[in-house]
Amino acid sequence: MQYKNNPLSPHLQIYKWQISSLLSIAHRITGVVNIFAITLICIWVSSLFFGEESYEITKLFLNSFFGKFVLISLCWTFSFHILNEIRHLAWDAGYGFDIKVAKITGVLAFLGSFILTILFYLIGKSFF
Amino acid sequence: MHISTKKWLFLKCSSLILIPLMTWFIINLVSIYQADYKEVINFFTQQPSKILFSLFVAFAYFFSSLTISEIFEDYINDEKIKNVANKLLNIFAILIPLLTIIGIYNLT
Repeated sequence: MQYKNNPLSPHLQIYKWQISSLLSIAHRITGVVNIFAITLICIWVSSLFFGEESYEITKLFLNSFFGKFVLISLCWTFSFHILNEIRHLAWDAGYGFDIKVAKITGVLAFLGSFILTILFYLIGKSFF
Repeated sequence: MHISTKKWLFLKCSSLILIPLMTWFIINLVSIYQADYKEVINFFTQQPSKILFSLFVAFAYFFSSLTISEIFEDYINDEKIKNVANKLLNIFAILIPLLTIIGIYNLT
């Protein structure tokens, strides 16, 4: 009850858009997207129980253009979340608080997430 | 130890564990998502993928419940709504991984 009168966080329209706020919001959104996707993956795994025939429907979706789009999007949300989480862990260890450094690591996390997406996809497809 | 400190420590430890598990899972997901039924079954029933996937799901839901409860803390003012939302979140974070893990261990 001691927290009852705590103020709420400012809502999105209050912020002046900058790299740190954009990444913070994107981090939360990708986190929610990831757990939603993991829930769908759990349902997918559970659907294996219903046998090979019913799995064909899932396979049709996964092999479609939309299925591939979802998979690559998931590679990006995972990549971004991993890199930005490493950035957060570095902050927790006391590194990278300087505004200039925080901006540079932010840009690196964002751009790096696209490179990591390509790497995840290529490694997964045994390209190397 | 203060409850918030404990929560922060759990959050950070689970995120450290999740980073390699997420990397492992997404690479394997790319490699199996177009595979046949038997290959997918093999993946989820063979070790080490069976134990790694179970750990991934358990830690992912544990981490998510902690972080989403922070979002509730930031944006929900009403204590009653916040409590209900947190309780639903916790039930969801226990049930889904539990059912999935039980399912995997019963797959043949």
